[in-house]
Amino acid sequence: MANRVQTVPESRAALITVVSSFSWCAVFVVLSTPVAGGQQAPTAEQLQAGQRVFVAQCGFCHGRDAMGGETGPNLTRSALVRDDTTGDRIRALLREGRTDKGMPAFRLSDADVTAMIAFIHDQKTKSESPGARRSVDPSDLQTGDAARGRAYFNGTGRCATCHSATGDLAGVANRLQGLELLQRMLYPSKSRAATVSVTQRGGETVTGTLASRDEFTIALTDATGVYRSWRTSDVTFTVKNPLDAHVEQLAKYTDDDMHDVLAFLQTLR
Amino acid sequence: MCWRSSRRFARALAPFVFVSAAIAQDAADGWRTYHGDDTGQRHSRLSQVTPANVHQMTLVWAFATGETAQIKGTPIVANGIVYVTTPDNVWAVDARSARQIWRYTYPANEGFHIGHRGVAIYKNTVYFTTPDAHLVALDAHDGKVKWNVVIADQKKGYWSTNAPLLIRDHLIVGVAGDFDNLPGMLKSIDPETGGTQWVFYSTPPPGSPGNPSDGATGGQMWMTGTYDPRLNLLFVGTGNPTPVLNGPARQGDNRWTDSIVAINPDTGKLAWGFQATRHDTHDWDAAEVPVLVDAPFNGALARLLLQASRNGYFYVLDRETGRSLLTRPFATTNWAKGVDQDGRPIPDPAKEPARDGRLVAPDESGGTNYRSPSFDPASGLLVVSAHDAYGIYFFKPDHGAYGWAGADYGVYGKSVLRAIDYKTGEIRWHHELGDGASGAGVLTTATGLTFTGDTAGNVLGLRTSDGKTLWHAAIGRVGNSPITYELDGRQFVLVGGGSSLYAWALPESSAER
Repeated sequence: MANRVQTVPESRAALITVVSSFSWCAVFVVLSTPVAGGQQAPTAEQLQAGQRVFVAQCGFCHGRDAMGGETGPNLTRSALVRDDTTGDRIRALLREGRTDKGMPAFRLSDADVTAMIAFIHDQKTKSESPGARRSVDPSDLQTGDAARGRAYFNGTGRCATCHSATGDLAGVANRLQGLELLQRMLYPSKSRAATVSVTQRGGETVTGTLASRDEFTIALTDATGVYRSWRTSDVTFTVKNPLDAHVEQLAKYTDDDMHDVLAFLQTLR
Repeated sequence: MCWRSSRRFARALAPFVFVSAAIAQDAADGWRTYHGDDTGQRHSRLSQVTPANVHQMTLVWAFATGETAQIKGTPIVANGIVYVTTPDNVWAVDARSARQIWRYTYPANEGFHIGHRGVAIYKNTVYFTTPDAHLVALDAHDGKVKWNVVIADQKKGYWSTNAPLLIRDHLIVGVAGDFDNLPGMLKSIDPETGGTQWVFYSTPPPGSPGNPSDGATGGQMWMTGTYDPRLNLLFVGTGNPTPVLNGPARQGDNRWTDSIVAINPDTGKLAWGFQATRHDTHDWDAAEVPVLVDAPFNGALARLLLQASRNGYFYVLDRETGRSLLTRPFATTNWAKGVDQDGRPIPDPAKEPARDGRLVAPDESGGTNYRSPSFDPASGLLVVSAHDAYGIYFFKPDHGAYGWAGADYGVYGKSVLRAIDYKTGEIRWHHELGDGASGAGVLTTATGLTFTGDTAGNVLGLRTSDGKTLWHAAIGRVGNSPITYELDGRQFVLVGGGSSLYAWALPESSAER
């Protein structure tokens, strides 16, 4: 039934993923630890002003309530928001954008940005009340069977080809829970960089971390940290991307498999 | 070269003359409407740029809007002037020099500033929709406001990115509104006065008798439709039902959400509807361009409507009746158990959003989206920027029954240009566009060229017969469909990269000319 499309073994999967909530939300969840807040309470006027700017500029992707819209993540669950008590990181993000993830740069006044950040933090506080509208709680995800998940991990799913319950995944359930664990399990964006080996016309081969790739240019960062690029027409190259196996698995998982493997990973404490 | 090409293409086109002569675009007069012509084929008969010389194209000019917003609209070219938009902004630019003639900026407002598809032109007026769902009429000479009317109530949650469609003296204007439970609404506006001529509802407005949409709202018609003057029918795709992910709140098919509807443009009355996704729970608007093609099907010349829909399926309909002729996937899908006798995929209830999450292809952004496909009559190919993607979808009663009412997250996706044989739905060739979702639509031309963009920010010129790359330029992400027009005897290819517009043509000294 499904139009099986050939999966080309390649790619900057680690660098550019679908414009997804996961791609820039979860990354920060993993990288950061909670920090207590402590900014001055914003005024009602400030919150209203912040809401006006937020809705107009950010609301479509992130939702009018900042709890996620079309394609953009729920900011009230973002660790970047959680940790950015001064607003500096949000300011920098707005200035630079994340164009590879589909987020443009914004040119807004300081007052607007300050008000908007206050609004986002206020929404975060509201979202922490029970039964928040778009939450996915760890308790929602407990339908799998850990024993079946272990069998899938070691058998059909071939997860054990690259991973080990006592090695890289030991204690994973202490580091990640709930939705974050599920998302990382399905597609661990940026967890392991792709490598590339480029052979130049003279026969010299350069290997390194894949920096970027498209139809016309291949680029890597070599062992000394130097960025190098070539026209794809001038070289031959081989990309090894550990995430390719995750992409292939997406077409193979049943929903039960997915929940079972999650249940198994949750036992790795 | 050009003469030989046109002869050859005239022969190739012989079976299609019915369509081409009647309603195809005369690109020598600019690119006057969103799709370029009534059919939505985005196919130009201009023949100066060919597969043999496309690599010689040179940048004639670039126009930087200076804004951060990406250009996601189709530039409109009329009388030597290019009109290009972003939310709240219209620029009128000299098509020869890129000199700005005027700029109009709409006052600050609270509507969604997500994108803008472009303007419409009628006589000396430029029509522009706004994030707060107004329609503004501007004097084409100087950008001064002639009038400004409300299309829908922004306070309720409507906004507009729509490029209006002009059908004689009807300006067809659509709105969006996914975050609230709002009836799907399309308006016909008098282009002279701004007065409302009719309103079509795809889902019933509050207080309507009966329950034709099974409790669903939504079905917004936010994309520009197409028109068949002989049938006098306007064809528009409708958006997803609301609440978006909560299916139990609206058991049933939820007509006419996620549908292609045929409407009489004089009365606003529905002639027929075809539902691409019944009871959608994944935000798969069927708003994509309904492409009109007159061509042989099952041995007889037929009036066809083609759509590559956001749910990952390619549809061929008889556009006189709305009857299904072909349904086949063109992107990765796992949500349907088969296709019913009416050509509609049968949703698998196990893939509805659930408390513990369901892994579904395509993801929310779909197997394709607003980016336009293009139909090449000579080869019979609909060239579509497709997206193979998975998402996880959640719904529990706590999520409620208003607006989004659920949660979903993209997992992984990649973009692939696919050339679909309209007679069979088979993929004749594909061209990888990279990881992520490309926002670029497609343009084909009569010499066998296909223009589009990849996810890395290259604009591509491909050979339509096999998808081979013949030309490219790195200009930043292409957020709209390339267009082409002729000016001073020279064929221009115009495309937006990032927040700038780029115009290419063959060198003036080129022997090809």
